[in-house]
Amino acid sequence: MSETYELAVIGAGPAGLEAALVASQAGVKTVVIDCYPQSGGQYFKAMPSGFSVSERNSAEAEGDALAKRLEETSVTRFWDTLVWGVFNDEEKDEGWLLALNGAEAPKEIRARTLILANGAYETPVAFPGWTLPGVISCGATLILVKTQRVAPGKRAIVTGTGPLLFSAAAHLIAAGVEVVAVCENTRLFPKGIMYIPTMLGQWGRLVEGIKYLSTMIKGKTPYKTGWSVIEAQGKEHVEGAIIAKLDNNGVPIPGTEKTVLVDTVVCSFGLTPNTDMARMIGCKLEYKAKKGGWIPVRDETLQTSLDGVYVAGDCGGISGAENSRLEGQIAGTAVSNKTGHMSSQKAEEIYNSLKSPLSQQRRFGRLLGDLFTTKPGLSSLSRDDTIICRCEEITKKEILAAIDAGCESVVWVKRQTRSGMGMCQGRSCHRQVAHLVAQRTGQKLDTLLPDTQRPPERPISLEVLVEVDE
Amino acid sequence: MRIQQSSSLLPAVQRGHLVKITVDGRIVEAYEGETIAAAMLAAGIYVFRRSRKHNEPRSMSCGMGSCMECLVTVNGKDSLRACTTLVIDGMLIETCKEVKHE
Repeated sequence: MSETYELAVIGAGPAGLEAALVASQAGVKTVVIDCYPQSGGQYFKAMPSGFSVSERNSAEAEGDALAKRLEETSVTRFWDTLVWGVFNDEEKDEGWLLALNGAEAPKEIRARTLILANGAYETPVAFPGWTLPGVISCGATLILVKTQRVAPGKRAIVTGTGPLLFSAAAHLIAAGVEVVAVCENTRLFPKGIMYIPTMLGQWGRLVEGIKYLSTMIKGKTPYKTGWSVIEAQGKEHVEGAIIAKLDNNGVPIPGTEKTVLVDTVVCSFGLTPNTDMARMIGCKLEYKAKKGGWIPVRDETLQTSLDGVYVAGDCGGISGAENSRLEGQIAGTAVSNKTGHMSSQKAEEIYNSLKSPLSQQRRFGRLLGDLFTTKPGLSSLSRDDTIICRCEEITKKEILAAIDAGCESVVWVKRQTRSGMGMCQGRSCHRQVAHLVAQRTGQKLDTLLPDTQRPPERPISLEVLVEVDE
Repeated sequence: MRIQQSSSLLPAVQRGHLVKITVDGRIVEAYEGETIAAAMLAAGIYVFRRSRKHNEPRSMSCGMGSCMECLVTVNGKDSLRACTTLVIDGMLIETCKEVKHE
């Protein structure tokens, strides 16, 4: 008989940690599950166990403190554990069945309510050469440099859009890597001026930003707005890259190309909410470009279209770590109320106290969305022979041919070409396929549906399934 | 290459215990707490697998277990993510195994 919890929180980043803390304080029987060996997620990334560091910055210290507070509660924690499937047997009133795969975790548990705090991943954008070793995401760069203390190369160029570019460039410089340029796709001026008041409400972020900026100035790294890497070149590894100026739609302007000699191309084209699990269990989605793409529809208490299923943090729309923490508190409060551990009056009080900080963080989220949304022209970086689906090696030409033959949705292109059927389960390509379908057929992105998601949530070995059936 | 310098962005760090792993027959030094990907990149090994259709080199891309590009064979077990699997002393790692099978 599997253990039944009142609440299962999936994901132990900023949102998940806060949600579990609030719920457990109210007396909700809670379990938190995360696929990494340590809590914190990508934002509060812990140093590897076995490593000790002389100091932690303020954000890292806050993350460490949150993790410590959770350890002091009675919340059951399963780290290094994948929730590979979430099932609901509607005929039996037993709650959600969570299938787990982790050395320390049982094979399955049950939960009456769910808080999905799955976070986000970087939006993949295909360009010629993007599959070459040496082309890595900003997130990968930061993990490698900050927590693993390994430099990805000797000479790098940083490209894409958003504040992560700054952070990656500054850390590379601090690591002794020569950063030849940062190519920010968006032209920040004059539009960015409108957002100065919003930024002034974000002292912590400003201080962090100034640190990055001063590192870049010391490193004499040019910050080129309205530019992008349009091709990575090399045989077995990156040997160089071509950069070009972009027009207002993000399309490279012919004649502006320059070649740079680098061994590393670091890119980040914004974040995509990780809706894998929300889709797997059937939460209704909507398309909001400025929130990062498809996101679950939620009410004010962050409940999705499914009763008792809540979504908190960046997997509900990209708004940053502080917003995620507040959303975690809201969802934790909502579950406490729903499971009868907190009065509606007390829950209202908490919602009201979170209103003002939440609206401040959401303003910051809107700033990110308004300034740094990937321009449609960027899908024109890929050429006919550029691979869009990295796993199954499906080119843009093959996808366009399928669309022209009548596959006018992401799912039909998948059935026709196998794009999205590989090991990454569509995370790298399904959004790019949607863009191609929209462009080619004139459909609006918000009328298209994302790829279907089925268990397992990440590849698992067959032994795991066999054991469940025994 | 492992980063030796420290600064306010990268405060001084003490790595875990020194361990030895084998990558395609070559002995590689690593530190407890490192991922296989970090240890391989630090040793200058960049090609983790080759694509099935066109035999193209692939390496760590997303760094967080999402893209499945960094799959390697560990102690005979295929398709483990180098970016999220931690090194253990004595580990035997093989790259590009899938293609070698064919």
